[in-house]
Amino acid sequence: MLDNIEATARPRRRGTPGWGTLLARRAVLAAMAVATTFAAAVELPPPGRSHDGATARSELGASAAFAPDGTLHAVVKRGEQVLLYRSADAGTSWGAPVVVNATPEPISADGENRPKIAFAADGVVLVSWTRPLARRFSGEIRLARGAGDGHFAAPITVHRDQSEITHRFESLMVASDGRVVVAWIDKRDLEAATAAGQDYRGTALYAAVSGDGGRTFQPERKVADHSCECCRIAAAADADGTPLFFWRQVFEANERDHALASLGPDGAPAAVERATFDHWRIDACPHHGPGLAVGADGTRHAVWFSERDGEGRVFYGRLRSGAVEGQRPLGGEGAAHADVAAAGDRVAVVWKEFDGERTRLRAEIVEDGGRRFHALELAASAGATDQPRLLTRNGDFFAFWHTEAEGLRGYALN
Amino acid sequence: MRIVTFLLIGGLAFGAAAAEHFVAMDRSQAAMLADPKAHTAPTVVALWSMDCAYCKKNLALLAALARGNPRLRLMTIATEPVVEAAAELLDRLAVAGPRYAYGNEAPEALAHALDARWRGELPRTLLFDGHGGRVGVSGVIDEAAARQALGL
Repeated sequence: MLDNIEATARPRRRGTPGWGTLLARRAVLAAMAVATTFAAAVELPPPGRSHDGATARSELGASAAFAPDGTLHAVVKRGEQVLLYRSADAGTSWGAPVVVNATPEPISADGENRPKIAFAADGVVLVSWTRPLARRFSGEIRLARGAGDGHFAAPITVHRDQSEITHRFESLMVASDGRVVVAWIDKRDLEAATAAGQDYRGTALYAAVSGDGGRTFQPERKVADHSCECCRIAAAADADGTPLFFWRQVFEANERDHALASLGPDGAPAAVERATFDHWRIDACPHHGPGLAVGADGTRHAVWFSERDGEGRVFYGRLRSGAVEGQRPLGGEGAAHADVAAAGDRVAVVWKEFDGERTRLRAEIVEDGGRRFHALELAASAGATDQPRLLTRNGDFFAFWHTEAEGLRGYALN
Repeated sequence: MRIVTFLLIGGLAFGAAAAEHFVAMDRSQAAMLADPKAHTAPTVVALWSMDCAYCKKNLALLAALARGNPRLRLMTIATEPVVEAAAELLDRLAVAGPRYAYGNEAPEALAHALDARWRGELPRTLLFDGHGGRVGVSGVIDEAAARQALGL
């Protein structure tokens, strides 16, 4: 019933035809009396773009995760709220959304920014996002925990530092021991150095750990100095279950390669390890963060964007201590924003690629330790598109892609 | 054709000054701005965004370069829909010249039309020498290299 209200009352807006399809699917679902435990949805604009006068900003940034019961959950920005959608068919159709933050506030959801979603050890859904503040480049990291019956507790700010500076580009993960870990780009060290008249390369990476499922967080700790300023941070559980982060780092003098660091059981970060060696020397914002997945045998599979021999490409490689094994470019020259996932001894990568007219969603499944590749073309979209993400459920791979034309969609990698 | 294109760009520039200082750029305008044949004088097309820490440095350098070289034409393209703060930032840095911003088309399509070899890193600067030469540079630019590419 709630789905039906949502489907019939929401106006269809020009330029988002895919959403009309979604609404129709919701109406069908409602007619089939599909039960939902979620609360009533409020009237909100359709996804894709927020309008600012005559032009529109593409704010498709979305994330998805499979719940312990196998349903796919996705979070996306609408106005000043994060909405949570749920799909029982792995992203083909979606139920009515739930509002995550009842009190509206600014939310970042463009480019490398997006709300994140994960499930705590007790199965409760966690949603994080960056709330931009008034000062340029400033923000704070917010996290809301599901409170049952389709409601959420009021969001908390994860970090203790309340200065109006950069705390942005957060990444959210739940370690195998149940700790909830959030890491983000933080400019407090840069600000302090600037105030003291000193130079400081890049920004810093900070992390905060929660031992109570995301209700409260311990004081944040610095993971690394000299991270790149605005690339997303990849997070994965290492072979022993500890949180592992992989991010773009500014090595001396201005080499924008990548680094790895893990967090110990006490939340203390391990030493930063250089992980990629492309030696891309540039003072620029690539806006193109990496991806990481750890296989059952402990192999660290990575995807990242870098420039080699004057050509910017997306690469796949296995991160060994102090070296990269099997580094190779993915797709064609336009391949971008790749993600990687591992399931047992199988690995998959997904990326998007603009062909001059449309953006294609492409993937590869890698088997037999990298000896066999299975290339897939999953979709193509004519309008604005988000970065794709790769998920696993019971050993199967699914790409998740939010596009202006098609809306939120899951694609099985068969 | 060359003259027509030049006039079109001139028209766009006039439009930029008249329409709240920014033109919401479409794909054909992007292709035109990126076409070396359209530029009969040394020209800089500077791509930037509000979220790019290094762009400010480039914009200040290019603005100074343009002030010191009356032959040099400077155009800016914000690679996002324009916000009020964008004009304030360009004004504060005294960046003259036509101002463009991404319009409603897919950002990938606009980026491809501007520079197929560009992968989204910012700042990105297109340098035209006015004689058919074009160089694309990512990152903070070196003034001497920029002068050379522009034929100044």
